[in-house]
Amino acid sequence: MREFKHFNAYSIDKAVSLLGHYGDRACIIAGGTDLLGKMKDTILPTYPEAVINIKTIPDLNYITQSDGMLKIGALTTLAEIADSEVVRSRCLALAEAASRAASPQIRNIGTIAGNICQDIRCWYYRNQNNRFSCLRKGGGRCYAIKGDNRYHSIFGGSVSGGCMAVHPSDTAPALIALNGKIKTSSRIIDAESFFEVKPVKTTVLKTDEIVTEIQVPEPPIGTSSTFLKFALRQSIDFPIVNCAAMITVSEGKVAGARICLNAVHVVPYRAVQAEKVITGKSLNETVAEEAGQAAVAEAKPLEHNEYMVAVARTLVKRAILACAG
Amino acid sequence: MPLLRGRVRCRRGVERARFQDAQGARPTRPRGGIRLTINKSKYDLNVEPNWTLYYLIHDVLGLTGSKQFCDRGECGSCTMIVDGKPVLSCMMLAIECDGKTVETVEGIADEGHPLIEAYAKHHAMQCGYCTPGFVVTSKALLDRNPDPTGEEVVEALAGNICRCGTYPQHVIAVKEAAAKLQVEKAAGRGQK
Repeated sequence: MREFKHFNAYSIDKAVSLLGHYGDRACIIAGGTDLLGKMKDTILPTYPEAVINIKTIPDLNYITQSDGMLKIGALTTLAEIADSEVVRSRCLALAEAASRAASPQIRNIGTIAGNICQDIRCWYYRNQNNRFSCLRKGGGRCYAIKGDNRYHSIFGGSVSGGCMAVHPSDTAPALIALNGKIKTSSRIIDAESFFEVKPVKTTVLKTDEIVTEIQVPEPPIGTSSTFLKFALRQSIDFPIVNCAAMITVSEGKVAGARICLNAVHVVPYRAVQAEKVITGKSLNETVAEEAGQAAVAEAKPLEHNEYMVAVARTLVKRAILACAG
Repeated sequence: MPLLRGRVRCRRGVERARFQDAQGARPTRPRGGIRLTINKSKYDLNVEPNWTLYYLIHDVLGLTGSKQFCDRGECGSCTMIVDGKPVLSCMMLAIECDGKTVETVEGIADEGHPLIEAYAKHHAMQCGYCTPGFVVTSKALLDRNPDPTGEEVVEALAGNICRCGTYPQHVIAVKEAAAKLQVEKAAGRGQK
């Protein structure tokens, strides 16, 4: 890695003021498993001048319940979330998502906030030494559209001209399905509107804003949630497609449903059509199948990724059936 | 990584002074002084911000047991136990490890852990490059769970990759080492 300045922030305010000073030239480091890979490969045209360590901020690693909210500190590691009895009993989808992300060693240092703020894994974007100056780096075009796009978006692109890189997070769809909220140093954002596609950006966070807490509201009685992931390898791997669902059943009928797919679109993709199909019905194989079809009705696969449509359809169906018990 | 320490420090000193003026804050711990406990020995070290924990321990301190293969957090070869948890040393900055306790494969060998013998006996290796990473991850598992099932071993070793494909042998070796440890522990209690 090249040289950079390193700061330990001892409070959220300090981290924010350092970010305010350096702006785009600084990066926040928590677990660092995403950032260090990016820096080692020098994938971006600019190299961070300063790295601000927030692991030194006290009291940002916790899982508590208050006011009907499950609150998870930004520095809580994925392993701690996956092993937490409270998370597992209250929001299974999040515990499952955390336990399926990356490898055991990475889960021991990777944090929940880092997992939702991670950068895209498109192989053109991630190619070493900024080889492809693509749209997401402020360059001229998306190389995946005509290139090898087997792991790219099946629901179209974004950024003018169309970046096709998918969002790779496992916990993001779980948080969206569970109707979670992201608390930052200056505001509270719905998990659903937290993600945004802009050059060198995957979230709506401003340059001097950091995530401090994840909040998940208590689900209504009769709610079950689940998380399913399809990846080429069973152990350490990014998802080809993953799917989280939270379904509330009352008197045998679906009273509310939130289904979210990820790794299929530039931001986590909420399968609203599938939710509409199952709402008000009792869950069975036929309804789940229909919902799966509805979820991918608007899919526009590229040359090499049509298989992802079938995977997404099946995951939606299986997630609904898993919630039905 | 370049070792232009004098020049770099000098420049950083100037930058620090400038920043202090602007913000009333300064980079913590000048010159990146950290304290580490590595395999029960204490170290007082000066590190550069861009040194990974792996670089510090393998290249600077010369504990060459852990291996670097991918350097991107994908393979598990560089696994070390930091504060009781197996983590990837290539994915941690040394400067952020102040006050931590690190255990490497050398420490595990020195304490005569039965894993080493079990790994050799069951030949859980072919080229052997990934083996230190596996041993360290297995040691962390046995510390946490002294009697793991085959499934738990597989789950714990999911982040270590062996391209020779020796995976079935690891489960046998770890389970044997676990059994041996339990016998040793029981015998130790008996003596008391």
